[in-house]
Amino acid sequence: MEKLKIGNFEFNSRLFIGTGKYENFDIMKKAHDASGTEVVTIALRRVNLENEKENIFNYIDQNKYKILPNTAGCYTAEEAIRTARLARELKLPDWVKLEVIGDKKTLMPDNEETLKATKILVKEGFTVLAYTNDDIVSCKKLEEAGASSVMPLGAPIGSGQGILNQNNIKIILEQAKVPIIVDAGVGTASDAAIAMEIGADGVLLNTGVALAKDSIKMARAMKLAIEAGRDAYLAGRIPKKLYASASSPTEGISK
Amino acid sequence: MKLVINSKEKDINCNTVSDLLKELNLNNDIVAVELNKNIVHRENFEKTKLKNNDKIEIVTVVGGG
Repeated sequence: MEKLKIGNFEFNSRLFIGTGKYENFDIMKKAHDASGTEVVTIALRRVNLENEKENIFNYIDQNKYKILPNTAGCYTAEEAIRTARLARELKLPDWVKLEVIGDKKTLMPDNEETLKATKILVKEGFTVLAYTNDDIVSCKKLEEAGASSVMPLGAPIGSGQGILNQNNIKIILEQAKVPIIVDAGVGTASDAAIAMEIGADGVLLNTGVALAKDSIKMARAMKLAIEAGRDAYLAGRIPKKLYASASSPTEGISK
Repeated sequence: MKLVINSKEKDINCNTVSDLLKELNLNNDIVAVELNKNIVHRENFEKTKLKNNDKIEIVTVVGGG
């Protein structure tokens, strides 16, 4: 199976999975194991000085999973750059899921700020995976700015609405020179399979697994869906036809 | 000495960033530190001195997508 290459990193699994919203860290860890992922995302926040809880680091085996820090919660390029720099201090790999939000309710990305931050972080040596709209122009600009991967959304973050505009993602995939990871909106296995069937290089998801009734089972379902979708893409689907075409011979029917 | 840690005023006696983390019971390996908006690299925790009214930001990793 050909590997997914992002910057200098190579992966067998095409599923990137988050660490937020699980019932507890133990379930999260088991879900990661079941998903077959090699990349887990994390966020950076102030330490809780009053009541520092158990750290999530203890539940991520860094020999097995590469930690991808995100800049979630940042609303300007400046904040996102600062977050990426702080993440680098934690001795995490020199890469970042760049996410600059422009609207609180929809969590839609601010492409202008994302682009600004991409240019600076690339200059500072970061491998940038940029979260953006499912819009070819934004994706192209981020690619030209040096992003190692562009991550268009399937639907708003945490909404579980699936891949709302497959045609937009198809257009992005047709023109992309860097790996395209569909990020956000994946609610169940078929959403992930569709993203892969149309040719996405990978899928990043969190809520669909974390908030499923059984996170561990859903993690496995996502793994299988992504593998199935990838194989189906490589195998090449048949064209859709209006009329039937018999699968069994039409001659020699016993009368 | 008065320090502002993550926007909260604290009265703590310590000389260096390293002392402060020890005082707060934080594991050096899982935090990143800014002193007055500038990053303090891990290897400088021990030699970076703190003074009255310094603003310190201490972050760590949490679950996220």
